[in-house]
Amino acid sequence: MTVVKRISFSATLIGLLLVSAGCRQEPSRWEAAQKATEGKKTSVSQDAVDGSIFNQFFPPQGDGYDIVFKQEKSGFAQAALEQNGKEIAVFSVFDTASDPDAKTKFAESTEQVDGYPVVIEEKSLSALVGDRYQVQVRSTDPAFGKSMRAEWLTKFNLKRIAEIEN
Amino acid sequence: MSQAIYQIVDKLPEKNLTTRMLGALDSIVPGEWKNIVGFENTIKLVTGAKDQARIQKIGERAIALYNDKTQGYQTGLWLYQTVDSVQGLGGMASFLNKIGSSVGFLSFLQSITPSPETTQAVDFGVKLVTEIVAFCKINGIPGDGIGDFVESLADCRHEALMRMAALICVDGVLPLGPHFMDKALSMLDSSGVSGLAQNKAFGKISSMIPGGSTEKQLGYIKEGVTGVQGWMKSFVDTKQLTTESVTEKLRGVVSNVGSKADWIAAAVDVSTNYFEHTGTQTVARSLISRAAAEV
Repeated sequence: MTVVKRISFSATLIGLLLVSAGCRQEPSRWEAAQKATEGKKTSVSQDAVDGSIFNQFFPPQGDGYDIVFKQEKSGFAQAALEQNGKEIAVFSVFDTASDPDAKTKFAESTEQVDGYPVVIEEKSLSALVGDRYQVQVRSTDPAFGKSMRAEWLTKFNLKRIAEIEN
Repeated sequence: MSQAIYQIVDKLPEKNLTTRMLGALDSIVPGEWKNIVGFENTIKLVTGAKDQARIQKIGERAIALYNDKTQGYQTGLWLYQTVDSVQGLGGMASFLNKIGSSVGFLSFLQSITPSPETTQAVDFGVKLVTEIVAFCKINGIPGDGIGDFVESLADCRHEALMRMAALICVDGVLPLGPHFMDKALSMLDSSGVSGLAQNKAFGKISSMIPGGSTEKQLGYIKEGVTGVQGWMKSFVDTKQLTTESVTEKLRGVVSNVGSKADWIAAAVDVSTNYFEHTGTQTVARSLISRAAAEV
C-alpha cells in the first residue's frame, strides 16, 4: 500500500468511526429496568397481602375532607385526599414483600411517628409499620405541607396495619 | 412483546391534531388537562420528585409494574389503543398529525363520509365500555365495575375527565345531538346483536368485554350507557353543550370541512386518537403514582 493510499484509507476509517460514533444512540436510563422485567409477572410477591384489607385502616373522612379510593391491587391500596373536590394528597399502604428494597431507607431513619420509623422524601412522608408495611402520605398540592403530612399519617390505624398477618 | 412504557410515554406528541382538538375542548373542563409528555417529565409532574436517584427508582418500579401483565396496566393501555386504531385512513391521519396542520383536508375529505347514526351510536357504546373496562383493569376493580365506574365519575379528574368530555362532545353530541344518550340507547336496541357483531371496534375488543356472548355483551353495553346517563346528561346541561357550541369549538381545529356537525365529527374521528393519547397519560399517571408509593 502506498503512503497516499494508507493515509486515505486511515482517513476513511477515522471518518467512518466518527460517523458511527455520532449515530450511536445513548442507551436510555430505563433500558436496564426494561430488560430485567420484560414479560415477567414478578412485580408483586405471592406473599403480598390483598390490598382490600388495607382500606379499613385509612384515615376516616369528614370535616370537609373526602377520602377517594383510587387503586386496589395485591399488596397495595391507594386513596386521594380531597378538599372541596380538589385533590390535595395521596395516601397509600404498600406491602414491601413485593419490593423489600423499599425497606432499606428506614434503616437510617432518625425520626419516628407513633413509634414507627419514618422517612421524608421530597413531598412525601413514609412510615414502616410492623417492619413490613409502608404507609405513605404524599402531597399533591402546595397547601398540604409538612405538618399536615405528619398529622394525617397518624390518622391511619397504624397499629392495626402493623398487626396484619399474611 | 409490546413496546416499553417509557418509550410509549416518551413518544406522546407535544402537538398534533389530537392535542389541538383537546385544547379546543379545554374550556369545557378548564384546567383539568395538561398535555404531559415524556416518561421522566410525567414522573416529575405526577409525584413532585426532583431528585434524580428517586426519579430513577420510581421509573424502574413503574416499568416493572407495567411489564407485569397481571397488574392490568398493559391491558388498560391496549384497550385505549385498540379502540382508537379502528379508524380508517390511518396513513393520512398520521401524515396530517405529523405536519400538525389541517392543510390538505379538502382532498382528504373526498375519501371520507360520515358513518350512519346507528354505527355512531354503537361506536359510542363500545368506547364507553372500553373506558369502564380499562378503568377496572388499571385500578384493580373486580367484576364488571359499572357501579364503581359511575361512582368514580364524581371524582374524575385530569386527562380522564378530558377524555370523558371528548367522548361526550366528539362521539356523542356531534354525531347524535345533545340527546345522544337516549338516541344511543334506542339505536343499540334497534341494531341489536347483529349491529354490535358487525361493529369494527367491538370486533377488536370483544374478548375483553364482560358477558361471554354478543347478546350478553350488548346487555353490558346498554347497562353501561344507562349507568352513566345521569352524569352525562347533567354534564351536557351544566356545560350547555349543543351541536352548535361543540361545532364552533372544533371548527378551528379541522378547518376547511365546513360547518356541518357530522362532517366535523367524521374528520375528527379519522384524524385524531384522543382515547389512545389521554389513555396513555391515564395509565402513566396511575402506574407512576403507584410506583412512587412502592419505592
